[in-house]
Amino acid sequence: MGLFDKLVGWLGLKKEVNVLCLGLDNSGKTTIINKLKPSNAQVQDIVPTIGFNIEKFKTSSLSFTVFDMSGQGRYRNLWEHYYKEGQAIIFVIDSADKLRMVVAKEELDTLLNHPDIKHRRIPILFFANKMDVRDALSSVKVSQLLCLDYIKDKPWHICATDALKGEGLQEGVDWLQGTTTDVHDSESVEHRD
Amino acid sequence: MTSMESGGDGGKWLDAHYDPVAGLYTFSSCVDLADLSGDGENRLVVGDLGTGSSGMKLKVYRGTALMSENTLLDLPAGLVAFFMDLHEPRIPTTAVASGPCIYLYKNLRPYFKFTLPSLEVNTLEQDVWQQAREGQIDPLTLKEMLESIRKKADVPLSVRSLRFLSLETDGLDEFVQLHKQQPIRRQTVITCIDTLKKSTADEDGVSCLVVGTESSDVFILDSKAFIILSKMSLPAPPTMMDVTGQFDVEFRITVACRNGNIYILRRESDKPKYCVELPSHPVGLVRVGKNVLVGCTDESLQGFTQKGKKLWKIVLPAPITTMAPMDLPTRGFQGVLVGLANCEVHLYRDKNLLSTIKTPDVVTSICFGRYGREDGTLIMTTKGGGLMVKILKRTVVFDDRDSAPGPPLAQSIRLNVPKKTKLYVDQTLRERESGVAMHRAFQMDLSRVRLAAAKAYVKALESSLTPMSASLSEPLKMNAVVQGLGPSFKLTLHVQNTAACRPVMNLAISFLYDENLYRIRDPYMRIPLLVPGLIYPVGTFVDCTNDKGITDIIKVFVLHEGRSSPLLTAHINMPVSEGLALS
Repeated sequence: MGLFDKLVGWLGLKKEVNVLCLGLDNSGKTTIINKLKPSNAQVQDIVPTIGFNIEKFKTSSLSFTVFDMSGQGRYRNLWEHYYKEGQAIIFVIDSADKLRMVVAKEELDTLLNHPDIKHRRIPILFFANKMDVRDALSSVKVSQLLCLDYIKDKPWHICATDALKGEGLQEGVDWLQGTTTDVHDSESVEHRD
Repeated sequence: MTSMESGGDGGKWLDAHYDPVAGLYTFSSCVDLADLSGDGENRLVVGDLGTGSSGMKLKVYRGTALMSENTLLDLPAGLVAFFMDLHEPRIPTTAVASGPCIYLYKNLRPYFKFTLPSLEVNTLEQDVWQQAREGQIDPLTLKEMLESIRKKADVPLSVRSLRFLSLETDGLDEFVQLHKQQPIRRQTVITCIDTLKKSTADEDGVSCLVVGTESSDVFILDSKAFIILSKMSLPAPPTMMDVTGQFDVEFRITVACRNGNIYILRRESDKPKYCVELPSHPVGLVRVGKNVLVGCTDESLQGFTQKGKKLWKIVLPAPITTMAPMDLPTRGFQGVLVGLANCEVHLYRDKNLLSTIKTPDVVTSICFGRYGREDGTLIMTTKGGGLMVKILKRTVVFDDRDSAPGPPLAQSIRLNVPKKTKLYVDQTLRERESGVAMHRAFQMDLSRVRLAAAKAYVKALESSLTPMSASLSEPLKMNAVVQGLGPSFKLTLHVQNTAACRPVMNLAISFLYDENLYRIRDPYMRIPLLVPGLIYPVGTFVDCTNDKGITDIIKVFVLHEGRSSPLLTAHINMPVSEGLALS
């Protein structure tokens, strides 16, 4: 945090970060984004997203613009068109859907091997969602099944969440805020050189 | 769970789940996918055959876990999930066909049982049992009379009589006492079941049940009132069925029967409209688009049009264990999955092999469709009771090109065939006109050739002109080798006694040749005692005395002392002498 950033903070001008929210259908992406919005802006009914939605919310130091992408199979090919703009990724996993864990892994691998993502140090936040469901997998198990250990060149973090109650979300957003600031600083350092 | 290798299928499928000890023993006809709770997540409904005599269960899977189990009273012959009404929430009913009944389950609870009408009973049989009940005849007489009815009657006997006939003598009396009071009934058994949309083609439209029975009938049942809407007769009991269309509009039922034929039934006809006679029995029947694909016991997959015209046939590497359609409407893909006995599942679009899935065990049932929230899910159960779930990758593209080794492209290029000449046309005409005479002439000549050959053979045998001795006392074999460039050749004769244990004695070799051309050093040689089995080389030198390059045959005779005719004869074609005679 340089002096300039502090100054920006005092003035109330927050830095904007574009975040992509990805994951399979019915994993809880829209519900998570909804919970992150201020309570007066939240909606009650969540319906399956068609295409994508753009949502904005602010934390203490950053202003997030979230692209809440649809997870349905036929819309998943839209994701890659937004990879360039994304400065961070939220990947949501339905921890109770053991059967489709391989599909989530497949989509994640495709994402990580995409030319727009592969060589960037883009932070990825994993939400192992639906922890309230009775036989949901733990976040450790989820990260094992998705082979997250193999991601060496990007900062990542996994949180166990329950989007209906909002549990665990704040921890993830705090991590994202910290990491995004760091990455931005290092990137701007690179630019100066 | 997820670490299993997906070998051979080119990475088209994701291994979502494999439980080798799921204890699911079933066939493709007893597996279906349906949204049983109305929450948008499809469940897997399986009619488990258990051990075949016990442990029959209706099992429902959700994701990787078994969700519920209901005990079935009898072996399931088929299972379908369908909408029987328009009530909200739209929850499908599961129909399990076993024996003469259809058991309906709603919300995973038994809901209704429908029994097929019983069949006509043989009146003679009825009379005989009546007499037995009144004590007029003893069980032995009853058995004799039933036996005679069984042989000549048009109407087959009831199950009770057949059971009675199979009993040993000491069990007869007891059986009669136990059963004589009940009236005789003859029940048919359901062999296959399917659904037919009533009036709309919608995914969630109300359906009728279509049932094939052992009595060679096909019934269409109304699912609301459970009355028989239509009855159709076939020449043989149906084994597999495919139904398409709507009952109120137009429908088509393709039935594979136990006589190895396929019949096509249509609306407004209670008899089959088309018939396909197969070269071997069908083991799988799947409709893809407008074509019917049939897997046969001769390891072949055949395609037919819906009017029964054969389109193609391909040979498979192993016997077929099961078949299922693969329909993926979101991508406009239609194909057929064929389970083979060599632990492979092949995916065909028309006759092109698109993908081969290797499985750890022989697959006995295949079901493809929407499972959970995933559209392209392939569910297979194995012979050992395993459950396997694979998911088609989102990015998969199936090449139209056949991946199976087949005829090369060059084969389909048209050759430049020259035009038919007048000679050719005349010849063809002549062949057409006098084909019979030509055939007779040919047959006559063929017979003559055979006769001549046989005569020559007999003559050769009789006069021992062959290098194999036919005599039983001295079975001999000889072959000759000529070495050298000339004019001096080395002639080696290998003589073998082929008898099992008897030696041969007193043999000699002599030669017959043109003395103007050749000179043989030892024209007469005695052969030592021949031990059975060993090969004796006997050598001599032949000098060619002629330098004109003329060759001749040298005849070799193996003789027995005291007999005038030779035991065997060999003809040696002498090579041309390439050197010059020294003298």
